Amino acid sequence: MGIDAGGTMTDTILVDADGGFTIGKAATTPRDESLGFLESAEDAAAEWGLRAEEMYPHLRVALYSGTGMLNTLLARAGKRLGLIVTRGMEDAVLMGRGLQAWADYSYSDRLHAVTHNHPPPLVPRGRVFGVTERVDQFGAEVIPVYEKEAELAAVELLNENVDAICVCTLFSHVNPAHELQIAAAAENAARERGADVAVYCSHKIRPVVREQSRLNSVLIEAYACAGGRRQLLGIEKAVRARGFKHQVHTVLSYGGLASVRHPRLHETMVSGPIGGILGAQHIGEALGEESLIVSDMGGTSFDMGVITRGQVRMENEPLLGRFKLNAPTIAMDYIGAGAGMVVKVDPLTKKASLGPESAGADPGPVCFDRGGEMPTVCDCDLILGRLNPDYFLGGKVKLNTRKAEEALRRDVADVIGADLHFAAEGMTAMLEAEANSALRRILSSQGVHPSEFVLLSYGGSGPLHLSGYARGIGFKDIITFPFAAAFSAFGCTTADYMRRHSRSVHLDISSAADDDELLRIAGEIDSHWHGLEKLAREEMTNDGHDPAAVSAEPFLMMRYRGQLEDVEVPSPVRAAKTADDARAIIAEFERIYDEINRKVSRYGDAGYSVMELGVIARAEKVKPRLVRRALESPLPKKEADKGKRKVFFDGCWRETQLWEMNELLPGNRIIGPAVVEHSATTLIVAPGDDVCVDEWTLFHYRYGGAKEKE
Amino acid sequence: MTDAPVTLREKLRGNDRLLAETGHYAGIRDLRLREKDALKYETLHTKLRALCVAGREMARRISASPGVREVGESVVALYTPEGDAVALSNGIMVHVHTASRFIKWMIENGYEDDPGINPGDIFANNDAFIGTVQAPDVIDVVPIFYEGELIGWAGAVCHELECGGITPGGDVALAQERYGEGLFVCAEKVGLNDALRRDYLIRCERNLRMPIYWILDEKAKVAACQDVRESVLALIEETGAEYYRRAIREFIEEGRRAQLARMRQLTVPGRYRGNTFYGHVTRGKPGLQPLGPPDLLYGMPMELTVKGDGKMLLDFEGTQGWGWHSMNCTPAGMDGGMFVTLTQHMNYEGLVNDGAWLATELILPRGTWTNPDNEKCATATSWALLLPAYGCFQRLLSRAFFARGFREEVFVGQVNSPMIEMGGESQYGGRFGMAHFECAAAGSGAMAIRDGLDTAYVGWNPESDMGNMEIWEQSMPMLYLGRAITPDSGGGGKYRGGCGFTSTWLVHNTRELTLITSEHSARVFDNAGMCGGYPAPTVQWHTAVRGADIGGRAKKGLPLPHSLGTDPLRTLPETLLAGGTVEKCEGPFITAPFKDGDVFCHSYNGGGGYGDPLEREPQAAAKDVENGYATEEFCRAVCGIVLKKESRARAAREADEKKTKELRGEMREVRRKKARPVKEWVREERERLLRGDVAPEVRRMINESIRFSAKFADEFRGFWNLPDDFVFAGDGDDNNSGERPGQ
Repeated sequence: MGIDAGGTMTDTILVDADGGFTIGKAATTPRDESLGFLESAEDAAAEWGLRAEEMYPHLRVALYSGTGMLNTLLARAGKRLGLIVTRGMEDAVLMGRGLQAWADYSYSDRLHAVTHNHPPPLVPRGRVFGVTERVDQFGAEVIPVYEKEAELAAVELLNENVDAICVCTLFSHVNPAHELQIAAAAENAARERGADVAVYCSHKIRPVVREQSRLNSVLIEAYACAGGRRQLLGIEKAVRARGFKHQVHTVLSYGGLASVRHPRLHETMVSGPIGGILGAQHIGEALGEESLIVSDMGGTSFDMGVITRGQVRMENEPLLGRFKLNAPTIAMDYIGAGAGMVVKVDPLTKKASLGPESAGADPGPVCFDRGGEMPTVCDCDLILGRLNPDYFLGGKVKLNTRKAEEALRRDVADVIGADLHFAAEGMTAMLEAEANSALRRILSSQGVHPSEFVLLSYGGSGPLHLSGYARGIGFKDIITFPFAAAFSAFGCTTADYMRRHSRSVHLDISSAADDDELLRIAGEIDSHWHGLEKLAREEMTNDGHDPAAVSAEPFLMMRYRGQLEDVEVPSPVRAAKTADDARAIIAEFERIYDEINRKVSRYGDAGYSVMELGVIARAEKVKPRLVRRALESPLPKKEADKGKRKVFFDGCWRETQLWEMNELLPGNRIIGPAVVEHSATTLIVAPGDDVCVDEWTLFHYRYGGAKEKE
Repeated sequence: MTDAPVTLREKLRGNDRLLAETGHYAGIRDLRLREKDALKYETLHTKLRALCVAGREMARRISASPGVREVGESVVALYTPEGDAVALSNGIMVHVHTASRFIKWMIENGYEDDPGINPGDIFANNDAFIGTVQAPDVIDVVPIFYEGELIGWAGAVCHELECGGITPGGDVALAQERYGEGLFVCAEKVGLNDALRRDYLIRCERNLRMPIYWILDEKAKVAACQDVRESVLALIEETGAEYYRRAIREFIEEGRRAQLARMRQLTVPGRYRGNTFYGHVTRGKPGLQPLGPPDLLYGMPMELTVKGDGKMLLDFEGTQGWGWHSMNCTPAGMDGGMFVTLTQHMNYEGLVNDGAWLATELILPRGTWTNPDNEKCATATSWALLLPAYGCFQRLLSRAFFARGFREEVFVGQVNSPMIEMGGESQYGGRFGMAHFECAAAGSGAMAIRDGLDTAYVGWNPESDMGNMEIWEQSMPMLYLGRAITPDSGGGGKYRGGCGFTSTWLVHNTRELTLITSEHSARVFDNAGMCGGYPAPTVQWHTAVRGADIGGRAKKGLPLPHSLGTDPLRTLPETLLAGGTVEKCEGPFITAPFKDGDVFCHSYNGGGGYGDPLEREPQAAAKDVENGYATEEFCRAVCGIVLKKESRARAAREADEKKTKELRGEMREVRRKKARPVKEWVREERERLLRGDVAPEVRRMINESIRFSAKFADEFRGFWNLPDDFVFAGDGDDNNSGERPGQ
């Protein structure tokens, strides 16, 4: 069972042993998230005719990801914190990184300086204290801890009735002694006072270089995750009371699962969109595909993620609620492009453009008839006959075509002097062109030819615009699904249990390194890997995994000496013992670097630097299985036929065949123009294209496929 | 036979002629492709911009310089065959037109014949007189050939952290002639067959203190250009060459029209005038050649004219000559300053290209610092004068926005944010050199609806940031003892200016560290407030303590300095480290090298305020004091706000409404008493002028403006009712043995 609790709705996907699935929904209940959880799960089980108490005892995995902690952060509704830092950096909570004032803004607002603004701090400046101390980048003590200052700071913070005290000192990831000393002083003071105050150290939360990111990590963990943990434990208690026999798990932003007792819960806070990548890995394994691009088009954004030759790209410095972190996150790129985007024409320049505003869910596009006045791409889709006004969300929302037409005519068609339907088609084409450019941009940075990639298309509007947004790129294959609308939740259920432990190092390797130097480097690398693996295995064992079933894969973050951006290098050797092992690591770095950047940019003469060493520990879990079925005839069965409707394609109305997605079978082939409808999504097959349903019930879209003979 | 242009030079001149004759770029009167199929046309434009953005991302990954990687100091763009910018990535918009000048320069100088422009060639330039802002801004361009025809150029710029000049870094404050600025690459063919020449890389390796920055940035830029080139060629395959050739020119003509339309929308036509100043103090500092006066005052009177059709002219008439210092600027740099400012106020949608340049005009009097007539002069710290000038431009634009009713667009704007550069023995034992880019996060001027942005804005890159201390410490042999908001560094106002910050460093693990700073105005404000707001203070003096014995003090648990403190007369390092040798320095810091155990403080500026400080919300002042943005003394003396300690929480403050009202009443009364008739004041000041009772720098400044501009002379003499031949006697032109600007 995978459950995704969003801001308004909690979605459940239940998957059975044969790969069958059902979807449930309930309102999210922020005060006690377990209520929404239980109701949504019941809704899904009911689809299969099961009562909850019949389901829970048989459930193997319960997986929960929610936005509760993120909302706590965004609403500034977290714990009352105190902070002790290296003396002289107390203002960091206000100064932040300057880039936090604009980094999650749109392209135009990043340049439009009067819009910039710092995010409000999580701890007020008055509850930040400095303690005189310094450690340098090599871990050497330069100024000892002024213990008295630490004690005084702790007492002052306890006087302020804080819930928790965070400690962050410079270079604590290299040498944590000072942070530990300050934390001990704070703990002592709390004990003497009999106060129940938790003390958090930055090096324990994330032992990686960049003090501002480490500070943000420790503050967010203390601020938002304590309450989140209580919610998660409450959920576990509730489902265990109903017969569930295992631990409840949650999704880490780097793609693994961890129990709700995970000590660094802030690592789960950006997990929402990554389900798509996890699902893609799963599908890729079934199909034998190693390079995949996922594309999720919803109402407001177009999210993309890449798996290149089996490697998932990681973002090491993501933003969370406008705070810069150094918690590794599966890299997802996005642009503002979705069916909810407002379409408009600048009255001055007569330039037609999309967004950046989106109509959102409330009031929604004009055709929802809930007060929306600005036409959106969704309205264009309706005007063109691509959406069925009586079958949106399975008919739960009736769409008003006349209102959509009026708005588009008024705001766009009349302003540029174009025919209504030409204008509508032009605007949808513009959305698709923007998504198309974004995909090309992502591809160009992979250094791999597009013909090696399979594109997966999902999200509420993905299949609706697929006929345009991937055209002409030359993908190897393009796939969409009957469960496109819930693919992210599905993806989360396919993940393994995983821990990623890493630490910053600084190992330089000269370009002319001899065997002795390489051997020394290999030894250093290995000793770090050894320590990290031990740590990772301990955590996994504490989570109840069989130590024998835990595997560990070492990796390095490397760069040419002097560079500032690392390339993640999965180690080609299991352990680094010899000079040849070091050579193999360097060769692997060069190979990966060359793939990502152009040849002209290689610079081995500068030497190499290893900046971070890490270990990924994994334990397998039961996963939903894709089921293979026998291929039926190309012609869909009668029940799938929903009749015909006029749809506007390429500047004219065409009589178009309609199909019910749930009734299509493996082997069926749909020839465009056609519309395949599902209660949660619509797949448009443009004239000249076709879609084939394969033995896994995946839909393969082919541009120009209709010309092929059956 | 047709008489179509055959050489690039003929094409370039033909384009210029068509623009002059028709008023339209390349003579394009109708946007034919746009009219025929607007969406196809827009789609191509979107794609061209997207591929520039992708190229810049690639460059960012490869670069070694924190300027590029952490602070975003780069831009990638696509040009027409004649060198006009069609589309640009985000990044330093300063370079909308600089690379353009560089390409045109090569065309005009016969590069087609010698050294030849061929597929796979790479050209580089960092000579400001050819086309860039300052020596650290190194531009690379590659030609794009389609079926044997040169169909465009891809270009990329990065700001280098080390240029191999007379002192380490790139903004070489000691450079008084170009010969001190470092490595120059003057429109040079640095690569063939898509690879950088080995002899060029060897030259870089042997002439720079930190060659890795420059070389990896070269590789990054060339990779980005090649990426753009390949993507453009793929697009031409789709659209056809003829469509592409026409479309890129329509984009530029459209850009020109869009710029005019934006001006018409946002501003009221008319004349907007302003003035700003910059004080340069170097008397007695080591390393200076006696070429010109060591202490200078620059005045920058500016006049912005917005015409009815939206055309904008910015006139620098009345400013002074270039000089033997590093702050001169070329017209390319002046373009740059204007564009980075315009992109923040009206061209932020990403549609800016050379069309916008055609819709604007800079009037840069020949021989002044804005347009030197001697190419031997240095331009290494041209930002020192550019930033005050374009801060003034922002205030002129803001008045035009305000006049139109766009109050929320009003922005008191940019200030100088002094740079610190360093070199010597690194903490790793080798030699190093670097410009420290945490200056990319000063305080901004206030807005008309809220306070300025604290520690997060610089005019030259709106995507501002200071980076992590732990990252900077990896690149230099100094440890942060503190990085703290500088209280009272924002100008007072109803809305105060944003505050800057101060770094306090302990020199560590080195026997020799040279520290040099640049780009800070001394003695006069280089920024201003608006509508009654006060300017931000000039930058703090530098405080250094040699032999500070931090280690010994730490062992005894004695207090150490982590900031300058709040006493304006005596800084904390002076007070706490009395055993060491204190050095105080006004203006650029140029002195003997430091070593392990010394302490150095460096401050970045805040911005000017908006509105009368006596109208400031008292509770806002209480918050400022709580957070360290202002001192109680400042709130009382400048804003007339009295605070009381709020008992509930340790640091909380509260405004005393009653006492504030009383104090403000008294302050208004003092203002009234100080006020007197303008006529009276003018009469007294006139007497001072006739007596020559002003600082020698002021006399020299006014005399030079009079010499350069008859218009200035007439206005100045007319306003003060001075004799027709008035100049100051003995303008203090001491030490000026060299060639005299403007003669």
